[in-house]
Amino acid sequence: TPETGGIIINLNNGELCLVSGQCKSSCCHRPDALSLARCAPRAAEREVCSKKSLYETYYFCPCEAGLRCEGDWSIGGSIVNTNFGICEDPRAPK
Amino acid sequence: AEVCYGSLGCFSDDYPWSGSFERPIARLPWSPSSINTRFLLFTRDNPSNYQVISASQSSISGSKYQSYRKTRFVIHGYIDKGDENWLLDMCKTMLTVEDVNCICVDWKTGGRTLYTQAANNIRVVGAQVAELVAVFRDNFGQSPDNVHLIGHSLGAHCAGEAGRRTPGLGRITGLDPAEPYFQGCPELVRLDPSDARFVDAIHTDGLPMVPYLGFGMSDPVGHVDFYPNGGDEMPGCDKNLISQIVDIDGIWEGTRDFAACNHLRAYKYYSDTIVTPSGFLGYPCNNNKLFQSGDCFPCADGACATMGHFADTYKGSSNQKFFLNTADSKPYPRWRYKVTVTIDGSRTNTGYFNVALYTSSENTRQYQIYSGTMTPGKTYELPIDVEKDVGDVTYVKFLWNNNVINPLLPTFGATQITVQRGRDRRVFKFCGKDQVRENILQTLTAC
Repeated sequence: TPETGGIIINLNNGELCLVSGQCKSSCCHRPDALSLARCAPRAAEREVCSKKSLYETYYFCPCEAGLRCEGDWSIGGSIVNTNFGICEDPRAPK
Repeated sequence: AEVCYGSLGCFSDDYPWSGSFERPIARLPWSPSSINTRFLLFTRDNPSNYQVISASQSSISGSKYQSYRKTRFVIHGYIDKGDENWLLDMCKTMLTVEDVNCICVDWKTGGRTLYTQAANNIRVVGAQVAELVAVFRDNFGQSPDNVHLIGHSLGAHCAGEAGRRTPGLGRITGLDPAEPYFQGCPELVRLDPSDARFVDAIHTDGLPMVPYLGFGMSDPVGHVDFYPNGGDEMPGCDKNLISQIVDIDGIWEGTRDFAACNHLRAYKYYSDTIVTPSGFLGYPCNNNKLFQSGDCFPCADGACATMGHFADTYKGSSNQKFFLNTADSKPYPRWRYKVTVTIDGSRTNTGYFNVALYTSSENTRQYQIYSGTMTPGKTYELPIDVEKDVGDVTYVKFLWNNNVINPLLPTFGATQITVQRGRDRRVFKFCGKDQVRENILQTLTAC
């Protein structure tokens, strides 16, 4: 049977979380500021993403392995957690 | 004993309706007035609020019902109710893709009682559905062949009863037909292939009632039976308690899922098949173990069948079981490919590697193909169910990692990756030469 997830850590996608460290996918995602956060899959190439931030929940998940979240990064953005971009493969020819 | 309700006929509680191991308790069905069945009609002329109709010419001719349209009924199950969201939403979804008369059957009063009573009340509800179809035939010229009954849980056997009373009924779809009081019973009692010209079923809660509380039947009941994810335990239903009850669609949906998550998946999958049929391709197979190991793949010509709304496009042989995988949360469609990867590397190393499928405009997530001892020169193969129909794959990407600090900086690369598409056996071949370190994507293009 699949690895069982815990209540606090090792959480599967769709389970309620407070910090990304609890999720197997290491992305604790909330659609908007008022809604509950749930573990969600990381963003694939060409999808909207968040850069890794101090806050532990994301409006958009960080990228999958091997990808980089390309977008406008600003101090202000990282404070209000709105540093969004698109996942790109750093080695892909432009 | 026996009870008669006028035009609906008489209902006995002798064998096989009771007096057997599967049906120990005898119950006579309630009268139509105490069950209070209501028929809620949706059409494209009234897509957002239903009209209540009854089996009388005046009521129907006063409604938006049109006999040239195919008629589909949606029948709920135990403890459920006809104006529950999923029935209304299913009708509304249907109307976005086709012009039909969609009728939700609400028999909640007859369904909110002892299960053994509800299991017999569906016989009266089935008779009432049959009566309504007869009015469509006799007074409005709609052939029963153009009528389709969709029933969930007890509603599936209710559809079977209506079908038994309606010669030439076009189709019945059983959404996780109820197990207790039906599995192992004679065909007269339950849904079976003789109840309509085409009977298809979706099984999503097939574990035995005792001790697993599996509410659905595992035995096949139709001409074609679909077992998504093996038919016993649905992905996404194993969430921890708090996450299940506080569902994304609210506490009410969460409580329903807490009570019967697997059992309710049948209608959730069905609703998605209306909009994205290509994402529910069933593969003919003898059992789930074979299918999950990659057997029964890809489809032979005309051998596969689409689960759900468009299952009647299947023209293959009857009495066939079909298997497929779905996503763990909505949207549920998935597309099955088999990925074969030959790797090369500086030396053997434990770790895992992923592959993602690309076209010029679309791509899938990364899917883990293997985890364990990665040996240069070896070939690894795995079927995967991707979340997007990317169509003809034009290139792929490979990535490996082993979550361990490797002082020797090992490198790996895929020398050849073949991707076979399930639905039409199409093979896409990609070659690569370079090797990469951990967490670096290697792109492979067509050979």
